[in-house]
Amino acid sequence: MEEVKIGVYVCHCGLNIADIVDVEEVSKYATTLPAVVVSRNYKFMCSDPGQNMIKEDIKELGLNRVVVASCSPLMHEPTFRGAIQEAGVNPYLFEMANIREHCSWITEDHKEATEKAKALVSAAIRRVYYHQPLEIKEVPVNPNTLIIGGGIAGIQAALEIADSEHKVYLVERDPSIGGHMIQFDKTFPTLDCSACILTPKMTSVGMHPYIELMTYSEVEEISGFVGSFKARIRKKARYVDEDKCNGCGVCVTKCPWKADSEFDLGLGERKAIYTPFAQAVPNIPVIDTEHCAYFLKGKCRACEKFCELGAIDFEQVDQIVEVEVGNIIVTTGYDSFDPTPITQYGYGKFDNVYTGLEFERICNAVGPTSGKIVLKDGSEPKSVAILHCVGSRDENYHEYCSRVCCMYALKYSHLIKERTDAEVYQMYIDMRCFGKGYEEFYKRLSEEGVNFIRGKAAEVTDRAINEDEEGKLIVCGEDTLLCKTIRVPVDMVILATALEPRSDAAEVAKLLTITQSADGFFLERHPKLDPVATMTEGVFIAGCCQGPKDIPDAVAQASAAATRVLALISKGRVELEAATAVIDEEKCSGCRICNLLCPYSAISFIVDEKVSRINEVLCKGCGTCVAACPSVAITHKQFTTEEITAEIEGVLV
Amino acid sequence: MSFEPKIVGFLCNWCSYRGADLAGTARMKCAPNVRIIRVMCSGRVEPAFIFQAFQLGADGVLVLGCHPGDCHYAEGNYKTLRRMALLEKMLPQLGIEADRVRLDWVSASEGDRFVSIVDDMTEKVRALGTFTQNSEKEKHG
Amino acid sequence: MKVLSPYKEATDVILEAGGEPLKLCYQCGLCTGICPWNLVRSFVVRRIMHEAQLGATDFGSEDAWTCVTCRACVQRCPRGVEIIDVMRAIRRAVASLGIGVVPDALRISAKNIAGVGNPLGEAPEKRDDWAKDIKVKTFASGTEILYFPCCIPSYDPDVKTVARSTVTIFNKLGIDYGLIGTEAKCCGESIRKAGYEDTFQSLAQNNINLFTSNGVKTVVVSSPHCYHTFKNEYPELGGKFEVIHITQYLASLIEQGKLKLSKKINKKVIYSDPCYLGRHNDIYDEPREILQSIPGLELIEFPDAREDGLCCGGGGGRIWMDTPKGERFSDIRVEQAVEKGADIIAVACPYCVLNYRDSVLSMGKAETIQVKDISELVAEAI
Ligand SMILES: Cc1cc2nc3c(=O)[nH]c(=O)nc-3n(C[C@H](O)[C@H](O)[C@H](O)COP(=O)(O)OP(=O)(O)OC[C@H]3O[C@@H](n4cnc5c(N)ncnc54)[C@H](O)[C@@H]3O)c2cc1C
Ligand code: SF4
Ligand code: SF4
Ligand code: FES
Repeated sequence: MEEVKIGVYVCHCGLNIADIVDVEEVSKYATTLPAVVVSRNYKFMCSDPGQNMIKEDIKELGLNRVVVASCSPLMHEPTFRGAIQEAGVNPYLFEMANIREHCSWITEDHKEATEKAKALVSAAIRRVYYHQPLEIKEVPVNPNTLIIGGGIAGIQAALEIADSEHKVYLVERDPSIGGHMIQFDKTFPTLDCSACILTPKMTSVGMHPYIELMTYSEVEEISGFVGSFKARIRKKARYVDEDKCNGCGVCVTKCPWKADSEFDLGLGERKAIYTPFAQAVPNIPVIDTEHCAYFLKGKCRACEKFCELGAIDFEQVDQIVEVEVGNIIVTTGYDSFDPTPITQYGYGKFDNVYTGLEFERICNAVGPTSGKIVLKDGSEPKSVAILHCVGSRDENYHEYCSRVCCMYALKYSHLIKERTDAEVYQMYIDMRCFGKGYEEFYKRLSEEGVNFIRGKAAEVTDRAINEDEEGKLIVCGEDTLLCKTIRVPVDMVILATALEPRSDAAEVAKLLTITQSADGFFLERHPKLDPVATMTEGVFIAGCCQGPKDIPDAVAQASAAATRVLALISKGRVELEAATAVIDEEKCSGCRICNLLCPYSAISFIVDEKVSRINEVLCKGCGTCVAACPSVAITHKQFTTEEITAEIEGVLV
Repeated sequence: MSFEPKIVGFLCNWCSYRGADLAGTARMKCAPNVRIIRVMCSGRVEPAFIFQAFQLGADGVLVLGCHPGDCHYAEGNYKTLRRMALLEKMLPQLGIEADRVRLDWVSASEGDRFVSIVDDMTEKVRALGTFTQNSEKEKHG
Repeated sequence: MKVLSPYKEATDVILEAGGEPLKLCYQCGLCTGICPWNLVRSFVVRRIMHEAQLGATDFGSEDAWTCVTCRACVQRCPRGVEIIDVMRAIRRAVASLGIGVVPDALRISAKNIAGVGNPLGEAPEKRDDWAKDIKVKTFASGTEILYFPCCIPSYDPDVKTVARSTVTIFNKLGIDYGLIGTEAKCCGESIRKAGYEDTFQSLAQNNINLFTSNGVKTVVVSSPHCYHTFKNEYPELGGKFEVIHITQYLASLIEQGKLKLSKKINKKVIYSDPCYLGRHNDIYDEPREILQSIPGLELIEFPDAREDGLCCGGGGGRIWMDTPKGERFSDIRVEQAVEKGADIIAVACPYCVLNYRDSVLSMGKAETIQVKDISELVAEAI
């Protein structure tokens, strides 16, 4: 083996490190350690001059190992690996000591911080000593993409990828795509008609030669890794033959059985055979077996009798489809918060207390009231109160701000003003109108004469204390600007309910081996610099499944995710994990313990030779087998026992 | 001067290491006593590493992985869980108090949890004092 | 013009006195909207939080003493602000630093408690006089249960029946209990909320030493205030006992079939949740279970029951302070109960007994409605 020559570089990170850690001392200390040829410290190691410093030292001093003590390797490991590669050193002959996140940022104790930094640097030096050059291998990327969830985010991502003539499988759980947006009447702040801007996109998805749309379907299993995933999809039985049905709807008209419409949130009805709404894509009905008389009692089959195309098929069963894709985009959206637990607002107790989403349906021209804003008894409200932050910004429910409620509350105020003579009262804590055109919209609503009361509503009650309040819902709270408690008698109350993670978000996360942040939404790879990727290569997130957001942001994020996928498709290959495990077949006793341990089934037993062997393409380098092998026959590249022992020794100096 | 215990932390790359990073990024303050070694998965942590750490002068060893069910490699942390259960039984024979070794879970978004585990463990180990091996204990009588 | 500049020193005083939670308040005003005071007068809780944040607190204002510590606001505050802690901190600042005025009535009670160990200023030797003519045991090592009746039932002639009923029930059932004797002092819960931290500490130490040296393991209490401090505050000071509220105890005896209620009480009874039993300690069901097992009794509910129950007005030291007529929550409660057609208001707290009995008398409703502690009702039904 050639002589090991290590260069050590301690970064000040401006003052981020140097303020707490004595960088001079750390860098001096490094020179006392074996095989260290040079040790320097510099303001910003990641800058061009910083990187050049390393490159020059490699050339002039013949360094063959490099240690940088700076931030987390999750930030800059790729940067420095790239730099030493450019200078002709294998990128794996590199090690980083995290003296910022794990050191200068968690303590104010200069002495302890400096001691810890020294220990971390000594660990990195001792470890890098044993590093071996690794070969980077690549595999091809399957150009197909799986998108889970057909709301606006999923639709946008699907169209962008498909338009570049790459195949997309779009899987939607409901009978139609469209998500929440198709339930709305208008969208803030422009007041575009939601259906008018969304249905053309939905139709494009339905007809796109590069999109295979699977509605009424769910992904059940995912295996593989970036570049070559396999997904098992369950297409639930619709009891309608998709190839025969032309969407005429005669079955729906003839069906005598009714149920609450999920699409109208129970405010309206649908048939037992139904499409959720008129512009559904695909325009193919499904039979709801829980309400169909034939499934319940064995009699009826009215739909079948009237369908001239013979598309009704009571014998249909769920189908399992397997697809192979290179990348996955998750766009499963959000659930609307159920305000029942906030008993003081009387949701479910009083007739005219609605959630935000319910009010969308009431406003919608094709909704249960044909777009008329009316009370349960059919009369027009004379006054309406909109209560902000219901379930949001509240430790008892969700701590986060749902980001769209202030704006949709303003949208409702406008619609109420436009369609009725009602007074509108908004009870808000802070008006958050941060987007493009949003503050202007707020101003417009002020002009329209909406009453703004600054204070979180304490209660909605029907206990009147004077004549004016008789028969009304009274909203009580403090007007914090007046320092007075107020009672506002109204006819209708709209709760600006929060957006929350899907109730099955945990299962979906598990399916994709991605994680959830503390609030339950899916966790992005980096909150600022990588909001669309996840910790799992090849799995991207977009739209409200990552956190509450408005349509423009959901679309932007979906486009970003599509671009990331297209980039991988266009490159055509992905690098495999280089730090894999290998079995020393001389030492392998053939016990096969490791075979079952590997989560990727990368280890197989070669019967003829009585040894186990690891498939390098499948191995993801977790090291579980290494720790378990009783014959110590498995080596984890970059994480060899030698290396880890050296590191332990290093941190304990 | 008070005794500052040395604790070796084995953190998996996908959840816990990121959780520890987050604690730093959010400038949460915590005991600086845990020296972190990054492994790809908690499943890589061999019991031998833990004994080695004690031999080399550690006063405690902390192993952190993703929450059960969240392991980046599907089930590496279940393997760790089983392995650590066995290891726990061996500790008394080696004269290592139970509080000196801890296996716990920290997700990438749980900077605060990381801090509380580290602080708690540091306090417990501080209370136990510096670790001296059985053999040495005998020697010193 | 008068302008306001933030006065950090005042904020620091409140923070040091335990007002730390005030930092979290984001001024939504929910607390003001919920606070029962606003049913009868203006009390802008949110503004008190903000004044404290900016050091603009008026320590001389009566607002410092208004809060009844009913916990209605804390229970719903979206930022989880322990508003009562802030109120207490302001009071501590006044009481210990002398930077404001302590209401006279409170000052006298505080002096009594510090001097003779009870707010009424009665002689300590007379603490167990309520039980003179009943056979009661003194707690000795090995006795199963310590019964601790609270100062009000011990001394107040109108509330004595609460303690007397309790021991009557115990005697009938042959329960192994005892009284701790006249060295006991007020539990200190309310005086602590009123800002007298030192007094509380010495009361607590006295009682903890007394209980510990007598080998007390289990305490049954009549007052939710004793319950609260014994259960949640004494342990931090080294006093660790099993604490059981009388309603929990009786409910469990009924469930085990040891307590059988056979005499009929053919009355409509409305139950008012004491704040320190309900909101502070989440005990809502046991009192109702007991009432429902009394034959003939019809249990009805206030329009705002359980978590939303209205305070009697007696918490946080308000029991010793004067509340002008027209501002008494207990009056509202009595009115509601009469409207509902109740014959009896049942409570499970000596402060409630005191306040409601006062209201019934002063409102001239003694003919229409009675106020009874649950232990009194059980003693009648046994
Ligand atoms: C009351 C209200 C009014 C609003 N008004 C506006 C407005 O005026 N303007 C604006 O910009 N924003 C508005 N928003 C925000 C807007 O709804 C979101 O930005 C947008 O809908 C996000 O789209 P999405 O695709 O991420 O999620 P979603 O619309 O929730 O779509 C997700 C889709 O995924 C499907 N899905 C979920 N889980 C699975 C699974 N496991 N498998 C398969 N499919 C699955 C769902 O069925 C759904 O079709 C409003 C929000 C609310 C609550
Ligand atoms: S409810 Fe809580 S956050 Fe709102 S004003 Fe009151 S104390 Fe502040
Ligand atoms: S505890 Fe009760 S009295 Fe005190 S401020 Fe809160 S609601 Fe008002
Ligand atoms: S990757 Fe975190 S425990 Fe396996």
